[in-house]
Amino acid sequence: MKDLIKPADISKPSAGLCRIEPGDLATLPPPYEDFNATVLKPLPADKVKALETSLDDTLAIGIPKPATPEEEEELVRRFLSGLTKLFEKKNNWTFLQPLLLSMEHCARCQTCSEACPVFEMSGRKEIYRPIFRSEVLRRIYKKYLTPGGKMTAKWTGDIDLNWTAIARLAELAYRCSLCRRCASVCPIGVDNGLITHELRKLFSQEMGIAPKELHEKGTVLHLRAGSSTGMNPLAAKDSVEFIQEEMEEITGYKVDIPWDVEGADILLIHNAGEMLAWPENVGAFAILFQAAGLSWTLSSETTGYDAVNYGLWYDDVQLARVALRHADIARRLKVKKIVIGECGHAHKALIETSDRLLTGDLNIPRESALVTLEAIVRSGKLKFDPQKNDFPVTLHDPCNYVRLMGIVEPQRRILRQIAPGFREMTPHGVDNYCCGGGSGFAIMSGYNFTDWRNLVSSRKKFLQILQAFESEPPQTPKYVCAPCSNCKGAIRDILGYYDAEKRSRLYYGGLVELLVNALDGMKKPIILFGDEPSWK
Amino acid sequence: MMGYYIFTYLCLAVFAASVLWRIYRQLTLPVHVRWEIYPVQHEPAAKAAYGGSYMEGLNWWKEKRRRSTVNEILYMAPEIGLMRGLWKENRNLWLFSFPFHLGLYLMLVVFALLLLSAVLLLLGLAEDGAVLSIIKGFTIAAGWIGVIAGAAGSLGMLYRRLADRDLRAYATAADYFNLVFLLLFFVCALLTALAADPFFVAARLYILGLLTAGAATPAYAPGQSVPGALTIVLGSLVAAYIPLTHMSHMFMKFFLYHKVKWDDSPLTPGSPLESAVKQNLQYRPTWTAAHIEADGKKTWQDIASSVPKEMK
Ligand code: SF4
Ligand code: SF4
Repeated sequence: MKDLIKPADISKPSAGLCRIEPGDLATLPPPYEDFNATVLKPLPADKVKALETSLDDTLAIGIPKPATPEEEEELVRRFLSGLTKLFEKKNNWTFLQPLLLSMEHCARCQTCSEACPVFEMSGRKEIYRPIFRSEVLRRIYKKYLTPGGKMTAKWTGDIDLNWTAIARLAELAYRCSLCRRCASVCPIGVDNGLITHELRKLFSQEMGIAPKELHEKGTVLHLRAGSSTGMNPLAAKDSVEFIQEEMEEITGYKVDIPWDVEGADILLIHNAGEMLAWPENVGAFAILFQAAGLSWTLSSETTGYDAVNYGLWYDDVQLARVALRHADIARRLKVKKIVIGECGHAHKALIETSDRLLTGDLNIPRESALVTLEAIVRSGKLKFDPQKNDFPVTLHDPCNYVRLMGIVEPQRRILRQIAPGFREMTPHGVDNYCCGGGSGFAIMSGYNFTDWRNLVSSRKKFLQILQAFESEPPQTPKYVCAPCSNCKGAIRDILGYYDAEKRSRLYYGGLVELLVNALDGMKKPIILFGDEPSWK
Repeated sequence: MMGYYIFTYLCLAVFAASVLWRIYRQLTLPVHVRWEIYPVQHEPAAKAAYGGSYMEGLNWWKEKRRRSTVNEILYMAPEIGLMRGLWKENRNLWLFSFPFHLGLYLMLVVFALLLLSAVLLLLGLAEDGAVLSIIKGFTIAAGWIGVIAGAAGSLGMLYRRLADRDLRAYATAADYFNLVFLLLFFVCALLTALAADPFFVAARLYILGLLTAGAATPAYAPGQSVPGALTIVLGSLVAAYIPLTHMSHMFMKFFLYHKVKWDDSPLTPGSPLESAVKQNLQYRPTWTAAHIEADGKKTWQDIASSVPKEMK
């Protein structure tokens, strides 16, 4: 039996700490057995030469190798300075208490390992074990930043700190999707997802190291251009105009999407990715809100038409900047509440985590669209014909608003009413598994990271989806309802990667689409299975 | 003889100081942003059952929040007493961890009962009266179950840590020391009970001596047997040592659950929570990444409301 990789190995130079060999990953059932030997596409030789790739044959950040020993030393120094700041009130008041509690009380009992989909699906690769990275950070902290740490290191767990360790740790911070399933089962309440989150912050806030999709093309673009999609306000308005036309064309229902209505009851903020990738989602919201007679508006102000807040995943300052912008826009529009569309992390960022950043008149009430939608359904103002949704449906629970915000039942109550073929995944609700695209993974596609996501972090979700529909014939079209833009992105990619539309007739979409699909008065269905309409 | 007492006093002082320090530190940390995980057990029972939150309600901020402390207690009692979480998620480990923890809990119970009976004795209650006899009965039961469970549990935990390669890979020298140390204590306590003090009479006298700085009658000379002396020394050291290590999770779990995992309090206008957040926003961070644009003078508030150069 091979020796296990141990936390101290992170600083020992080697070609790689982890390699996925054919057959290592959790087994996929028929008709997907041909994927069981699939492994990551190798990184190009020039990348391996220039970038630090010695963690696991994939790259989320792609950190250039330092040119000189001085450069290496400087990086180690900055890492330690960032680590010190994580434990200071003035720098990290946002998470100091949770961090200290998780750093100081782990019993190393390994209960969390069994809960982690990345660890399980990888074939139990040691570096993906939830406490691997936490233990590395804990040991570095104890040895280098606590008094007498160097003397007691042999006692409390030794580790060396060098450039290799730091570069691997930076990458490793992006092999955990922050789903926090591990934290929910820890008997003590230790949160390895949180430790990963803090590690990401250290790299971003002190060293300026983060995946470009989250930073340059994420929060920076969001604050500068108005959306992380790059859409400026004009482009957003154009897209929405196009959506209005599309909706009329598809459903025969004329919608008029309101912009910047001062004093509206609701400011609806979508993940702007929906406007480009899933315009029918934005259209479906408009149809429902209009039909229900709600007073609502979108905002065309920079940042105000994109609910995403990637800061939640890697940088508290960016999180705060985006959240404050969102709240300020709502304040100036004088709306009664902000409603967040089908985007999980946007829910958590603005409704929950930023709750303790928004004071005074920035504390605008914030609500989940699932709750608003349930109220529409319950009001009885609209008529739905569930028979139009008479196909197998399963529900994916986005970690961010289910396990991490407790919004579990509204979406189910809706589905039970409008989708007769609804069945749960196993497990579901707060015990759900991440789609594999959490914490930014869904939008990170550099190098061969998409492969890693499809093969490893999304694998559990794929297995769950297959299991939910195992009693259905392959030729029956099936619908995975994923009310979250990032989850939808990740699910779209797994269905594509595994050719699941062809092999199992798997399709995906949001919750509002199911509602509009069943809504009385629509001339045509909004849900299509390939070219086939879901009802005639 | 006084040496033992002084040693125990010192260890108890370390225990008290480290527990107080840990708690004090938690209480003086700034309010953090929310980071809860559901189920949050103080939600009303119907919601806690599936992990729902008040945020499932339409216009939830207009509703009166319903918190159920009873639910929290109903959840926490078996969680602490029976280690239900571990039973559910990691039964193999529970088989050893439960007796180990039960042993420690019962040692605390024994200590409390001995203390109580010593105080009652000092207050003049009859040694053979009903109250003291009942306490004595409980002490004997808790003591025997505790030392046996503790010895078996710590031996089992040591075995698991050595035999299971996943546990071994993460074990440090301190982890092995902790288990050996606790095993030694439980074994000595068991030997003492077997050989010298099956009814915990000497143990009570020792506590009586502790309360009176050795002046109580009947006089008791600690350390009359080798295991007895070792039990006193090791027991005192265990008390001093636990709060200094990660084993403090036994009581710090309160903060992990109540101050993080279940801390779902929303910020309401004019609340003390809002004042605390406002105060936090006055901290002056020193993060050095360029996009933060911190200079040690700007506050969190300034920085969060600014758009730095690269984002303009
Ligand atoms: S995080 Fe919790 S479950 Fe995981 S090893 Fe530590 S104590 Fe055990
Ligand atoms: S947060 Fe999720 S992905 Fe990360 S270690 Fe925990 S279980 Fe695994």
